[in-house]
Amino acid sequence: MVPLVTKDFRRSTLRPRHRPIVRALAEALFSPDGEATPERLDAFVDEVDNFISPASKTLRFGLVMMLYVLRISPLFFGKLRLFDDMSVEDRVHHLERLDKSKVKQLPLIVVAYKTVMTMLFYEDEQELRGLGYPGFERKRHLKVTS
Amino acid sequence: MTAHDHAHDHAFDHELHHVASTAPRMPVLRGREQTTPFSASVDVVVIGSGAGGAVVARELARDGRSVLVLEEGGHYTPQEYGALAPSQSFRRLAREAGMSVALGVGDTPLISLLAGKCVGGSSVLTGAVCFRIPDEVLHTWSDDLGLARMTPESVDPYFSEVERICHVEEVPHHMRSRASELFVEGAASLGVEMKSMRRNTKGCRGAARCNFGCPNGAKMSVDQSFLPDAVGHGATVVSDALVQKIDITGGKARGVRGRFLDGVTGEPGIPFEVRAKVVVVACGSMHTPILLRKSGLDSVHIGRHLTLHPAVRIGALFDEAVDGWDGALQSVYSDHYWNEGIWLNGVYSAVNVLAAAFPGLGREHRRLVKNIPNLAFFGGMVHDDGGGQVRRWLSREPLVTYKMIPRDKERLLKTIQILGKMAFGAGAREVLLPIFGMGTIKKPKELDFLSPGQNSLAASRIECMAFHPLGSAKMSTARETGVVKPTGETWDVENLFVIDGSILPTSIGVNSQLPIMGVSMMLARGLVDDFGAHARKALG
Repeated sequence: MVPLVTKDFRRSTLRPRHRPIVRALAEALFSPDGEATPERLDAFVDEVDNFISPASKTLRFGLVMMLYVLRISPLFFGKLRLFDDMSVEDRVHHLERLDKSKVKQLPLIVVAYKTVMTMLFYEDEQELRGLGYPGFERKRHLKVTS
Repeated sequence: MTAHDHAHDHAFDHELHHVASTAPRMPVLRGREQTTPFSASVDVVVIGSGAGGAVVARELARDGRSVLVLEEGGHYTPQEYGALAPSQSFRRLAREAGMSVALGVGDTPLISLLAGKCVGGSSVLTGAVCFRIPDEVLHTWSDDLGLARMTPESVDPYFSEVERICHVEEVPHHMRSRASELFVEGAASLGVEMKSMRRNTKGCRGAARCNFGCPNGAKMSVDQSFLPDAVGHGATVVSDALVQKIDITGGKARGVRGRFLDGVTGEPGIPFEVRAKVVVVACGSMHTPILLRKSGLDSVHIGRHLTLHPAVRIGALFDEAVDGWDGALQSVYSDHYWNEGIWLNGVYSAVNVLAAAFPGLGREHRRLVKNIPNLAFFGGMVHDDGGGQVRRWLSREPLVTYKMIPRDKERLLKTIQILGKMAFGAGAREVLLPIFGMGTIKKPKELDFLSPGQNSLAASRIECMAFHPLGSAKMSTARETGVVKPTGETWDVENLFVIDGSILPTSIGVNSQLPIMGVSMMLARGLVDDFGAHARKALG
C-alpha cells in the first residue's frame, strides 16, 4: 500500500440502527451456508459505510431510505416480519422476489446494494485468491520482453 | 512551431516515458489543507482538470499566460491510485464514489454513470480507448449544423498533436486477453471483423484495470501528460477547490469565487477568489451546466441535449480458463454495425466489479463468481439521441434524467442480442445477459425475445451504464440554438469559455476522451491566438 498524501475526509453514513439491516443483507448474499464468520460480517458493515460515505448527501439519504424500505419489504408480500428478523434462507428467497418484482423500484434496492456489497466482499484478498485471481501478476506482456 | 518547440516536445516525450516510476510529484496546492482565505489574479482560470481543462491549461501556459487550474476533486499520484483497490479508487477518484446514475424517464433504463472527480478528471478512469470523431459525425457538424471548422481536414492536426502528446498507440496482438480473442472468434462466426484499438498507453503490462488507475503508470491520462507540462510552464493546479460562482459584471466574466473543501467533513469551508481576464469552464457535461446556471446564465439549452452512449455488456461462460484479467483491458472493437448506431468494444474490469453485475442471489450468484476465471465479457454501446437533461437540485451533485427514444431502446436490445450470438459463436456454454432478475441462458434460441418488434421487455429491466456524457452546453452557430459559439465562448457572456465534452453538439458514437481533447486543443489554440483581444475586453 502506498501511503496517501491527500488524506480522506472523515464521514460516516450508517447509524447503529442501520447496521443490522446491512449485516443481514450481507449474510444472505454471501453467507447462505455460513461461509463468512460473524467477525467478517461485522467488519464488512464498516467497509460498506466507508465506501458510501464520500457520496453526496442526497445519494446517502437515498441509500439509507432504501435500507428502511428493505427492512419492511416482507410486509409487501404479506409476511409480518422485518427483513433482518427472517432466517437466512427466507432472506435469500425474499431478495429473489424483490429482484423479480414488477414494481420498478423494488429490484433497484436489491441491485444497488448487491452491486456495492459484491464489489466490496470480493475485493478481499483471500476471497480473490480463492477464485483463482493472481493479484497483479501477469504473463501476457512477457511474450515480447522474454 | 519553432525548432526550439520541437526540441522541447521531444524532451517532453522522453520525460513521459518514465513519469510513473521516476517523475517527481507534480506540485499541486491541496485545498483541503488550506487554513486561510486565498485570492489570486491571473490571466486565465480554468475550472476542471480533466480532458478539456488540462489541454487548455497546457496551451495557455505554453503561450506564456498565467494559468490557475481549480479542481473540485482530490489529488492522487499515479503511484498512489495505481496501488488502490478498485473500490478505494472509486471512493476517492469518482463522483458519488462511482454510484452516479441517470434516472430513466418513460421506457428507459436506470443508467449508471461513471465520471471522475480528481486531478486529471475522468481521464484517470478511462479504459484508455482513443478514437477520433468519425468523419460522418464531423460532416454532420460542418454541413448540417454549419460548424465550418469541424471538418475532418480542419481537426486532423489537433488530433495528431494530442495523439503525440498522450502517446496513442495500437494495442499489439499479443496484448489481447484470451477474453478478447474469444470475442474476435465469436464475431468472426457472424462474419463481423474486429479491429485493434488504439489507446493512450506507454508500456502497458496488461493489468486490465485501467479504469481504476493503472498500477504500472502506463496510462497517459492528462495528469501524466498535459498537466505536468502545463505546470512545467508555470500553471498552478489547486485541488479540493469547489467553484461556486463565476463573477460576471457588465456582460463579461471577471473571475470566480468558491470554497475549499474542508479536510475533515468534505463540505465547503475556507473561501477563495480568483480574478482573471478569461474564465474557462471545463467541469464536464454533468457539472458545467450547473455552474453556468448558478452564475446567472439562462439559455434554455443549458443542461439539455445530454447524450450518454448507453452501453451494455454480457458475460460468457466457457469450458476453458479465460483468465480475462491477463491482457489489455480493452483491445478490439468493431464498427460493423455503425450504420445501425451500434459500436462494439472488447471489455473487462476488475473481477470483483464484474462479479457485482452477475445475475442471481446467494448460492447461484456464488456459483457464477467461482467460475470467474472461465468468464469473458463482451460490450457494446449505442450512438444515441440527446434525450438527457442535467438539473440543479438538493445537493452539489446534479439530477440527471434521460429519456431514451424507442429507436435507441431497439438498438440497445439488438446490441445485447448480437453480443449473445457472438458469445455462443465463440463456444460459450452459458451467457449472462444484462437483464435484472434473469438467470443465465444456454441456447442461442433464448435470445430471440430480443429481436426487433418481438419484445415486450421493460427498459427498466436492462442493466445499462454510460461513460461518455456529452452535449449539455452545446456549440452552435446561433444564440437561439446553443450555449457556446464555435470558438467556445458563451453566447451570453464575454470572456467566458466552455471547453469540455459538454459543447459537442451531437452524440459521437465512439469513446469520448480523444474527441474532447482534440476539440479542446483546437479551441485552446484559437484562444491563444485571440488572447490579446480578450485581454483588452477584460480591461474595458
